[in-house]
Amino acid sequence: MKTVDDFVTLLRDELALPVTADDLGRGLDTVESWDSVHLLALCTVLERETGRSLPLADVLEASSLKDVYLLAVAP
Amino acid sequence: MTDTTADLREITAEDYPAVRGLVAGLEGDALVRAGRALARLDPGKVLAAHPGTPAPLIAVTGHGTLSALVPALTGELARHGLLARVRLSDFDSWVFDLADPGSDLYAAAPSLVLCVLDPALVADELPLPWRVEDVERVLDEKTALVERAAEVFAATARGATLVLNTLPLPRSLTAQLVDLGSRARLGAVWREANARLLRLVETRPEVVTVDLDPLLAEGVAAHDVRQSVYAKAHLSDGLLAGYAREIGHLARQSAGGAKKVLALDLDDTVWGGVLGEAGPEGIEVAGSYRGEAFRRFQAVAKQLGSQGVLLAAVSKNDREPVVKTLREHPELTLREDDFVQVRANWRPKHENLAELAADLNLGTDSFVFVDDSSFECGLVRRELPGVAVLQVGREPALHVERLLRDGWFDVRALTAEDRARPARYREERARQDFLHTFESLDGYLRELDISVTLAPVDAARLDRVSQLTLRTNQFNLTTRRLQPAEVRALHDDPAVRVLAIESADRFGDNGLVGVVLLRRQAGVLHIENFLLSCRVFSRGIEQAVLGAVLGHAFDSGATEVRAAYARTARNGKVADFYPRAGFETVREDADSADFRLASRPAAAAVDHIRLTARFERTPSEDRR
Repeated sequence: MKTVDDFVTLLRDELALPVTADDLGRGLDTVESWDSVHLLALCTVLERETGRSLPLADVLEASSLKDVYLLAVAP
Repeated sequence: MTDTTADLREITAEDYPAVRGLVAGLEGDALVRAGRALARLDPGKVLAAHPGTPAPLIAVTGHGTLSALVPALTGELARHGLLARVRLSDFDSWVFDLADPGSDLYAAAPSLVLCVLDPALVADELPLPWRVEDVERVLDEKTALVERAAEVFAATARGATLVLNTLPLPRSLTAQLVDLGSRARLGAVWREANARLLRLVETRPEVVTVDLDPLLAEGVAAHDVRQSVYAKAHLSDGLLAGYAREIGHLARQSAGGAKKVLALDLDDTVWGGVLGEAGPEGIEVAGSYRGEAFRRFQAVAKQLGSQGVLLAAVSKNDREPVVKTLREHPELTLREDDFVQVRANWRPKHENLAELAADLNLGTDSFVFVDDSSFECGLVRRELPGVAVLQVGREPALHVERLLRDGWFDVRALTAEDRARPARYREERARQDFLHTFESLDGYLRELDISVTLAPVDAARLDRVSQLTLRTNQFNLTTRRLQPAEVRALHDDPAVRVLAIESADRFGDNGLVGVVLLRRQAGVLHIENFLLSCRVFSRGIEQAVLGAVLGHAFDSGATEVRAAYARTARNGKVADFYPRAGFETVREDADSADFRLASRPAAAAVDHIRLTARFERTPSEDRR
């Protein structure tokens, strides 16, 4: 997973979330079908896909999907 | 991403029956992903579109964050054609949920309650600093609390099942103790608490305890420490997925979907090599590296067979060398007598399986089929979607793991009937052969010399009664499934008679083959259910027993007898069982009917059966 599009595909395929790139900047509370438990599943999936360990405490404090994406692709 | 996931994301409630086929071959992450996609569906809409879908309500409660269980359970139940309705409790509310009979959990009336326990249940309550004695005290308190919860559960959630689990022992706890003596004692007290949870099953028929140790021994991590610290998810997703798989089998079995037959391919499944090419002396069955692997697989099949699983061989081979090999090969572990049928011919395997099912009077959905050929596996999957198809690979050492990875043959309790079942089916084959020597069925039945006993069931065999209600699909008038605790409650109810039907004939004892549930209310005798094992119906036993029940009803002063029929996909052949016995239909729609009989019918004796009937209980039947 490298690009924003990859990230959106992953959200749709893995978490069955009906999101588009436009939704990434929204507050998590306003994302359709979003539930706080998705964040845990998303961490697991991202770590599997990127083969890297994520700073979980930071991910859990993310306010938007874009924040999560930036943490996942941070060098 | 697979095509399957794409298909599942598009799926609507109307398509639900197709889901089982789509998820059948999925494992691990792919199945959880499928579960997430399926969890979007509104169960109400699925049931509106397909009212016959079995949809157990599963309440999930426990100590930590358990959200990962929802997609895992959804996926696992879908594999069995079930629709999971999962009710997830608030975080750490298990004590309130289970110890308070007025809780919302009990009000929701789930059929399955998962109380998921984890090591933090204990670790969170340790003082600082702590010693082994503290762990022992907290474990003791918590197990006592679980036992108390199970007691309230038994009294409150009649007929439901409570699932507990053992607590994994994390190294992050043991390694905090630096002296090895204390560390060993911690291991001992921890195991003792787990043993107490496992032993609860012995005294509480409504409890199932899932032992997590065997799952952990396969190499699944017990937890992801960051998820545990940050999100209070104290059991790993992988462990919860393995746990959910066991729950899937429990739910399938509770819904009447028990697997009864293990049909095995022979070449490269039961033995190494192709019999037709290598000959009996060339196949690998023992001794060599690969031979030992096949021997191990045969031993496991035989072990399953000893517990009531019917083994059958389905092989593309000439019949004669196969039978000769199974009979005479000196090193084979599985022999001809271990199989209820050996079908060796060149016809498609799905046809052989369908005929085998007809011979055994079972549905193909009670079959598990093992083969190494992807062609055969694919064909059976396509032609007989209810069959659980297990494809084994080229590495025979993994055959056993493939067979046992899923608890296809899991049952709540094993009865004496289970152990005797393969022998009974072999007797049945002798009966069939005997039948072919007669001109008419009447002559056959007379020569069969059938004796039947109808009497209140004794307390020691309530498990068998429960099992019959769970396993019997065809001759089952109302298909009300009863868990062991429910049967016990009926047995203890003075207004109810739980009558066992036992039969025997010249070929042997058939054992406990049927159940009649009677309830007396004022002057009316209600036949709440009537069920008979598929092994023995159409021999007149059902008519003889019903005749005795009706005679008893009017002899004992009943003014009328009431009975009911509830239609399922499998019990159409008994829809007119009561009307044919003289009952009038008082109400009828597409799904069910109620019947009434106001006077003794003209006795139609079944003269080829010797029937002994007793309706009153003796004190010895009440003891356990």
